[in-house]
Amino acid sequence: MGIIRKGLPGGSFKPLSEQDIEKIHNTVLQVIEEIGFQVNSEDARQYFKQTGASIDEANRIVRLPRKTVMDLISKAPSEFTLYGRDEKNDIHLGGSRVYTGTGGTALYIYNPGSKEKRLASLDDLKKIAKLVGGLDNIHLLLLPTYPSELPVNQIDVNRFYAGLNNTSKHIMGGVYTLEGIENVIKMAEMVAGGKEQLRKRPIISMIACCMSPLKLDEHYADMMIAIAKAGIPLVCPAEPLCGATSPITVAGNVLMQTVDSLMGVLLTQIVNPGTPVIFGSVATSTDLRDLKYLAGSVEMGLTNAGSAQMAQFYKLPFYATGGMTDSKALDSQSGYESAITNMLCALAGSNFIHDSAGLMEFAMTVCLEKYVIDNDILGMVMRAVEGIKVTDETLAFDLIKKVGPAGNFVTSKHTRRHMRSEHYEPTVSDRNLREDWDAEGGQVAWERATILVNQIIESSDYSLPEDTKKTILSQIPGIVV
Amino acid sequence: MSQDILALIKENVVQGRINKEDEGMDEGMEGTPAVMELVQQALTDGIDVQKIINEGLTSGMDIVGQKFEEKEYYIPDMLASAEAVGAAMEMLEPHLASSGVEPKGKILIATVKGDLHDIGKNIVSILLRGAGYLVKDLGNDIDDQTIVDAVKEEQPQFLGLSALLTSTMMHMKDIIKSLNDAGIRDNVKVIVGGAPVSEQFANDIGADGFGADGFQAVSIVQSLGS
Ligand code: B1M
Repeated sequence: MGIIRKGLPGGSFKPLSEQDIEKIHNTVLQVIEEIGFQVNSEDARQYFKQTGASIDEANRIVRLPRKTVMDLISKAPSEFTLYGRDEKNDIHLGGSRVYTGTGGTALYIYNPGSKEKRLASLDDLKKIAKLVGGLDNIHLLLLPTYPSELPVNQIDVNRFYAGLNNTSKHIMGGVYTLEGIENVIKMAEMVAGGKEQLRKRPIISMIACCMSPLKLDEHYADMMIAIAKAGIPLVCPAEPLCGATSPITVAGNVLMQTVDSLMGVLLTQIVNPGTPVIFGSVATSTDLRDLKYLAGSVEMGLTNAGSAQMAQFYKLPFYATGGMTDSKALDSQSGYESAITNMLCALAGSNFIHDSAGLMEFAMTVCLEKYVIDNDILGMVMRAVEGIKVTDETLAFDLIKKVGPAGNFVTSKHTRRHMRSEHYEPTVSDRNLREDWDAEGGQVAWERATILVNQIIESSDYSLPEDTKKTILSQIPGIVV
Repeated sequence: MSQDILALIKENVVQGRINKEDEGMDEGMEGTPAVMELVQQALTDGIDVQKIINEGLTSGMDIVGQKFEEKEYYIPDMLASAEAVGAAMEMLEPHLASSGVEPKGKILIATVKGDLHDIGKNIVSILLRGAGYLVKDLGNDIDDQTIVDAVKEEQPQFLGLSALLTSTMMHMKDIIKSLNDAGIRDNVKVIVGGAPVSEQFANDIGADGFGADGFQAVSIVQSLGS
């Protein structure tokens, strides 16, 4: 088996110049100071008030002076770790280090091996958790589906339990109710071995959205406050859509995403300074034909790469979005859209690329085979992030001298020493001769992926220790087994 | 004279210009009278309201529709025109009854409680306005009772409900039930839409129509209305 590449520094792709970043930054501060943003939670407005912000109560608009904004940003940690249950799965966010993960929250799943979709169930989520657990280039599990058979008050606990009980990778997820947040944290404490242990090694993190343009919703702001108070890492992503909830231009979209995610970052740092918060982008473009949300456009990759630079400028860990497709089938479109957006995010040094595997048709549907295919795309992407290592050893002058003109490198020790680490070995790609390919049934990528899906899910035997499960099931209401 | 001004209204609908400050598709139109100024002028000139609607607004929208079909126009172009028509219709509204024009109908629209997704609903509203309907938009995250109360008060012909989350779409069912309980279900046609909503779901909850996108929303309203 080859090496697993994660946490390697990206940052070679820089769509924004230093002047561009400066100009965007100044406009960000101008928006927050002059236009302000709407905060629909009374509690959140109270918190902003404490900083001396100007509050227009009638319109619920908060405006913050530049200095306050920068002071609050500087309180947020620029590096922190999202822990796995198993140490080898820890994710050290910060700098320009690149990690990948799944994303959600999709409503549907493809029936394996078909173009037919159906509503996703809790069982599907467990399967995906096992699958992702076995895919090396997907570094964390962001709970990707919504179990359609459950009532909303049972959603949070069941989603997180399905994650925690089926993979040792870090579990991140969107949350739906305040009570759910409380119970999920309790459950994670039981898994981590106590209140403090969870704060020391947070094995879960949560997502609460900011609303583009310029709005913190009441319920979501209240959730941000609750999560920040509990000291659990969180992401405050914003999802500006070109021409719909942001200016149509890519620059305008980066600006909007920056301001909007900062609203959440600022709030968390007032509530609980030092809260591990991730600056998040789900920014993308729209279909000009009908303003549909798009998940596979090149502009999405570009925006998220630009936002990665803004995150690096503010020294905030960054959650990017890339790797999806709008295609309804595992065809060439699904491959190139996922590859291009993942590649742009990764080369820009996005700390965590969310949605990077499994998602299709406007983020509405997941596909088991696609996780396996994307795992290969991500393997190649991470190899590109790693770049070219130039040393005496890699240049191998002495070896070339020894081999000499018209010789070969087939049997040299140098080849064996470097071949596994220097070259990515794909798991799905076909590199067979035509005869062998024919003999193996002439399968295309998704057919080969189906086989891997089944193998990986069947071979997964991960679960929480029996006594932990017992404690959780007896104390956390609503979990379906 | 009347022909000139109607042709100008039509042209400005195609250009998607509401006021004279607006830019159009073509260069150099800023500062020239646009749909609002022209419709005001037409009213002052005593031009028949029905004529303003048919020969100015609707025929302009027809061309916009064609351009959209031919992929010359994108949706933001179409929405600009639809907004211009919507603004003109609001201006004409007080004159409809006295001119004997049958209003096309009133639509109440909202995104249901707990749901903050409003881009789709906003597009649907603009397109409906552009098709000549009077649209009252209640906003997003609107609770069932407020919607039912608004139906009682506004007495619209249509109620449009939008939801994008599986956790919120059942409000649509509850609202229909409340309309039933209040004995006003038959007074209003209920149209539903949003990403998780399907034709099947619409049938199951007893809605009258479903729109997979904004254009379908308009055509279903048109077909139910006639
Ligand atoms: C009256 O008659 C009619 C007739 C037709 C009607 C109609 C009514 N209403 C709509 N139509 C139809 O016509 C419109 C025009 O053609 C169309 O409207 P649409 O709205 O479909 O299309 C718009 C033009 C463009 N599309 C959109 O605007 C929606 C795009 C997606 C990506 C989306 C967005 C943008 C957002 N989101 Co959210 N979001 C998603 C969406 C995934 C998707 N691909 O749809 C979806 C719906 N979101 C989801 C989720 C999970 C969430 N979102 C959330 C938040 C947001 C943002 C605020 C960031 C943003 C909304 C911004 C806004 N102002 O609306 C959160 C919930 C907030 C809340 N309480 O509402 C949050 C819970 C995320 C979180 N963890 O916090 C998923 C739902 C999963 C589920 N099981 O329900 C989701 C499918 C994305 C995903 N895969 O995760 C048709 O549906």
